[in-house]
Amino acid sequence: MRYALLVLGGPYSDQAAHSALRFAHAAIARGHSVDTVFFYHDGVHNAAHLAAPPQDEPHLVDAWRDLQRMHGTALQVCVAAALRRGLLDAREAERHGKSGASLEPPFELTGLGQLLDISQTHERLITFAP
Amino acid sequence: MLLHLLNRAPSSSSVHQDVLRAMGEEDALMLIEDGVFGAVSAQVQHFPGLEGRLFALREDLESRGLAGRCDARVIIVDMDGFVALTEDAQRTVSWF
Repeated sequence: MRYALLVLGGPYSDQAAHSALRFAHAAIARGHSVDTVFFYHDGVHNAAHLAAPPQDEPHLVDAWRDLQRMHGTALQVCVAAALRRGLLDAREAERHGKSGASLEPPFELTGLGQLLDISQTHERLITFAP
Repeated sequence: MLLHLLNRAPSSSSVHQDVLRAMGEEDALMLIEDGVFGAVSAQVQHFPGLEGRLFALREDLESRGLAGRCDARVIIVDMDGFVALTEDAQRTVSWF
């Protein structure tokens, strides 16, 4: 089946991102595809390019990147939620006169309408909330 | 059949009451994260009438030291079993 995950919780503040990652790997292990992860609300912090957790702790941002690299999962971030929280890709940083970008590929800024599209194009949508 | 996900303990949130009011007769309830506190014998009375339809995630029970204290009426599943429940359910509803 085609799965999509909606992540509403930020990394390291609650369990949502961790649970979503564990679920993604379990779904893939059962032969499903996790085509899309959509980050919304505080979940957008999962896309923070500058995240630098201690080396002996799980690196959640890298774990999402690995999911994309190994399984082709699209990592979509709600642009309105991201800009409010200081998560800007190079294009948005330039548009808003900021000195640097805090979000880079494979994470991509998309509109909230994309979430509606996901709910109709994937067979399962599972929400992980704070 | 809908699968309801609950990540709040019944002792810290009343959202489980909303879940029970919303659940259909065929629906299943999966306790994850802090929701697994509702699976211990002293708390499971918050989920009456769900025999055979009440599940708890093993890794969240174990990480909270509750693996041996889960009530016999609760079906313990691992992450693989969690995914299987989402396969069977037409939709999954998250409560938080």
